[in-house]
Amino acid sequence: MLPVSYYLILSALLFTIGAVGVLIKKNPIQTFMCIELMLNAVNLTFIALGRYFGQMNGQMYVIFSLAVAAAEVSVGLGIIVAIFRTRESIVVDDANLMKS
Amino acid sequence: MTNAQSMQAILPVITLLITGMVVLLGDAFLPFWRRSGVASGSLSLLGIVIAAGFALDRLSHQPTHSLAFHGALSLGRFTQACTLLLLLLAGLAVLLAVTYLENRRLNRGEYYTLVLFATSGAILMAAANDLIVLFIAVEMLSVALYVLAGFARSEPRSEEAALKYFLLGAFAAGFLLYGIALIYGGAAISGLGGTTNLALLHLRQGSVPGFMTVAGLALVLVGLGFKAALVPFHMWAPDVYEGSPTSVTGFMAVVVKVGAFAALMRLFIAFAPAAAYWLPAIQIIAVLTMVTGNLLAVTQTNVKRMLAYSSVAHAGYLLIAVAAAATPAAQPLALQAMVFYLAAYGLMTLGAFAVLAWLSHRDADCQTLSDLRGLVRTDPAAAWLMVIFMLSLGGIPPTMGFIGKWYLFTAALQSHQLWLAITLALVSMVAVFYYLRVVWTLCFEEGSGISVSRNTLAPAGVQISLYVAALLSLLGGIAPIVWQPLMLAARSLGRMP
Repeated sequence: MLPVSYYLILSALLFTIGAVGVLIKKNPIQTFMCIELMLNAVNLTFIALGRYFGQMNGQMYVIFSLAVAAAEVSVGLGIIVAIFRTRESIVVDDANLMKS
Repeated sequence: MTNAQSMQAILPVITLLITGMVVLLGDAFLPFWRRSGVASGSLSLLGIVIAAGFALDRLSHQPTHSLAFHGALSLGRFTQACTLLLLLLAGLAVLLAVTYLENRRLNRGEYYTLVLFATSGAILMAAANDLIVLFIAVEMLSVALYVLAGFARSEPRSEEAALKYFLLGAFAAGFLLYGIALIYGGAAISGLGGTTNLALLHLRQGSVPGFMTVAGLALVLVGLGFKAALVPFHMWAPDVYEGSPTSVTGFMAVVVKVGAFAALMRLFIAFAPAAAYWLPAIQIIAVLTMVTGNLLAVTQTNVKRMLAYSSVAHAGYLLIAVAAAATPAAQPLALQAMVFYLAAYGLMTLGAFAVLAWLSHRDADCQTLSDLRGLVRTDPAAAWLMVIFMLSLGGIPPTMGFIGKWYLFTAALQSHQLWLAITLALVSMVAVFYYLRVVWTLCFEEGSGISVSRNTLAPAGVQISLYVAALLSLLGGIAPIVWQPLMLAARSLGRMP
């Protein structure tokens, strides 16, 4: 069996890739996929730790996190579709109606 | 608590959720219901009143044992105090929405359902004694708010606000969850596995936490900091506050703050033995938030935007209470000061947004300073109410805002954090400038602002909400004793097992 630190390092890397992606991507769909990557990196951490401690709760938390992520996806995609209907573009840089 | 007792203690939340579903079904199947928002609004209000009744009942029984559902929730007196406060604010927000939605032709029943769901999320945030429950509660609140921010569909500003709020909120949720995972791992000690239960975390806390715990705590702070709009995680606030429909902005500005600060308080009190590791971060963020919020608010000409920066500044003031709670001796005072200030902030901010909502009608959404020009001549009632809320936000005696700041000031002194108290006093002086500018515009500036149309539909809702908010905040300033029961209840987080 691989030591738990391998999983933790991998998930930290995935989380970082996701976080950097959110900051540099211009398309909300891509941003959104990066956020999903972050959440799934966390899920990996939970599963690895839960398995390492021999506990069920770490793996149970993943179910919660998946359910919440699914609810977020449905709302997020709904918002993106609504925006596309009104302005035929979803690029984040076009969303600049409000400035201080 | 046994399971039956736990269910009884959580009745306020259950009531809100059931009411929300009934409102949604009524709106879907009863055609007469859909024509006006009055039916949905009054039903939601009824649900909120019943929920408040349950919370009061529980508070009056002086619960000694607070942990419910095997330690997942803490339903002691502090939680009940936060619940009552949240229900009061949600009730006022529903009342003001009835008028605003009618006037702006946004009348759809799901609005009230989403408000009720978001309120139950905020209550659960205040009650969460397990970090994973906290995560679910945060999401319950946030997902409902993403939809509410974009409620004025087909209005590009509202959609833009929803998109920004959603992307940054989901980003913050990722940080929050990763922080929880690291705390879960860091909490493991020999033979015992990890845990996310705050009571257990408190027991396992040495004065030197491991690397994973410290990193986890930092990430959770980032996640909750986004929700509470702390600097440097506040960038979304002005855009989202400006773009969302005014009734939503008012609700969002107050309810999220109550939930987020109750959660921050509970989290950091559980980690109090390791205060040396997190206290400096909280202090620095508090000062940054107070200074940045106030300085940026000075330059705004849009009142909604100005109130957004002012809410950032108020989040900084509230963070002083969290910093003060690091000292065990100052904890009861810090908890009291936080709940009182949340009440003061909630009433003043909601009141200010209610005035804007009252003045908005079909063709014009009242939000810039020039809309308010000379209002004291065209609509004296609205203008004077706005003056009360502005003076209170500025912390001018004898208003509730002043008393709240006084409590925070004392809490900071009692925990020997003199320079936080000094910063609070200094930035409050800057704050007076931009609040008084609104008063000046209302009373002394020539020219005409927004056209005041007296054919406002369903005006009773927003009026009741305004007068109640003004009355309670004036009473809080002149006779703070009326808030005494709430503050006494908030003195302690309840027994840790």
